[in-house]
Amino acid sequence: MEEKRDQSDYQKELFERLKKSSSLKKAEESFGALIKPAFWWIIDNGNPALEDIEEIMSINATHFNESSPKKTSECLMHLLEAARKSSKLNKLLSFNCDKTLKGFVYPIIQGDKIYGYIGACYSDDSVSEDALKIFPSYIDTIIKEVQKELELSKLYETLRPRAIALSTVHTVHRLISSTLDLGELLPRIARLSLQVMRAQRCSIKLVDSKRKILLPKATVDVRTKTIRLKKVKVGMWAPGKAFKYGRPVRGQDYLATPLIDGDVIGVITLYDKIDNKPFTTFDQEIMSTLGEQAVIAIKNAQLYKEQEKLTMGAIKALVKVLDTRSPGACKTKVSFIKLTQSIGQELRMDMDSLKSLEYASALHDAGEIFVPESVLKKPSKLTGEEYEMVKEHPAAGVAIIKHMKALKSVTPIIMYHHENYDGSGYPKGLKKEQIPMGARILAVVSAFESMITEKTYRATKTMDEAVSEISDKTGTQFDPKVVNAFLKVIRKKDIIAVIHKELYGHK
Amino acid sequence: MGINEALRLNINYKIIKFFHENQSSIDTPRGVAAWINEDRCNVKRSLEELTSLKILVAHRSTSTTGYSYTSDAKFIKKIDQLLKKRSA
Repeated sequence: MEEKRDQSDYQKELFERLKKSSSLKKAEESFGALIKPAFWWIIDNGNPALEDIEEIMSINATHFNESSPKKTSECLMHLLEAARKSSKLNKLLSFNCDKTLKGFVYPIIQGDKIYGYIGACYSDDSVSEDALKIFPSYIDTIIKEVQKELELSKLYETLRPRAIALSTVHTVHRLISSTLDLGELLPRIARLSLQVMRAQRCSIKLVDSKRKILLPKATVDVRTKTIRLKKVKVGMWAPGKAFKYGRPVRGQDYLATPLIDGDVIGVITLYDKIDNKPFTTFDQEIMSTLGEQAVIAIKNAQLYKEQEKLTMGAIKALVKVLDTRSPGACKTKVSFIKLTQSIGQELRMDMDSLKSLEYASALHDAGEIFVPESVLKKPSKLTGEEYEMVKEHPAAGVAIIKHMKALKSVTPIIMYHHENYDGSGYPKGLKKEQIPMGARILAVVSAFESMITEKTYRATKTMDEAVSEISDKTGTQFDPKVVNAFLKVIRKKDIIAVIHKELYGHK
Repeated sequence: MGINEALRLNINYKIIKFFHENQSSIDTPRGVAAWINEDRCNVKRSLEELTSLKILVAHRSTSTTGYSYTSDAKFIKKIDQLLKKRSA
């Protein structure tokens, strides 16, 4: 049934294109000059009845026209008879229309099927049979051309939506694989799934460690900003069932797709299509593909998070070990790490650079372990030799971490955090942009920390005094851009509160 | 600029028509430029313009921006009418 309908559609389109074909029009004109036709005919039926015949063109209609219905009808009768004979012979067939007109008809064939006929009635007695023999090859070429056009157009119609869908899948892949932050990734997957499925709500749930409950991690609803996050027991509702059976669960207004990475790790569920139509098998297939991409991105983000925890754990362990040998010498306070991060964010550093800055903040003075405590805590001015010892601490800090590959991007920050913006710092006397941005930030925060932290060898400054001194040294010791960012950040209540709490035990 | 005015520009019309006909699509400026056979820089500019008119939604990431069609059913209906009017 479906095949018959396809064939009928194909035939209809083929004839529509044939009728509009400029090549056919040219053939009619050039062949018409030879045979002086009264009428051209095109019949879009392999087994035509009188009413199926359609006139397409009349060129030089000297013998009869539309106002001669009797003759037209007679002519058609002859044409039909010839068409039936021609279909059996699969070739051009001549016939006599009436006493004054002659005609010919030629079947339009594809494979073993006759789709219709093309023919003409003409008046010129002198047209030879040989001249008519040119016509079939003429028409065959035109029909092949039209068929090719039609097939190309059908191929385009079939391929274009698939290519667009493929391009969408590729774009989604690029968008979700560009972040390793789970907190950013999951809402992004939800929003993109909503968009692709044209649904109104999307919820992503990940399974808990005991694999009994699905925990809501991201929900987006285009209809409301107030979202209720619901836990779902495994086996319950569409998400619970999709999780339990490891296959999509589809209803009229929902589609739950499991996120499978060996085991099922969670479920993406979509609800309520914008056009109120039900979710289809095609939707299910697209969501399965998106689900596969989502699970890779989620696993990557989870692995990255674990890696981060591992690195931070190693740094904390290292700091603790160093701190036991020289208490307070190498340990940076959490509030100052937060301060460097905020300055980095203010300066729009990317995620990787912020992470390196965080690690560097925690470890920047680790090299002081090699500087004698008597030098570090000396209340009076350092001798030249002592100062040279202090200047070694950035390189010593780098030496401590150089074997940890995960901290490779941290080493330039530690190495150059005592460089000054005007080139008067150490160890290399780098200037301005020669100094890595992380090191320029750390220079400001490290100096600020040193000024307001209690030291036995130096009077402690208040926060306002320290801020003022940092401002005074902008453009000389410190990068003006960093100082500007520092001045913005240091006024923030949460930053002030966290520093106060850590230094003075209150907010 | 309103949607009526936006539609007067041929490139905007082609972009809106593309997303209206392919409402599930999310694509980059390069992709959209290929589908509508227009210059990528001009397409990028128009995509941003149509995003500011809320006809499109921009999904931004560090590496690229994907653009998709509005989810507002009423707005889609209005756009449908305008597109029909323009093509008539």
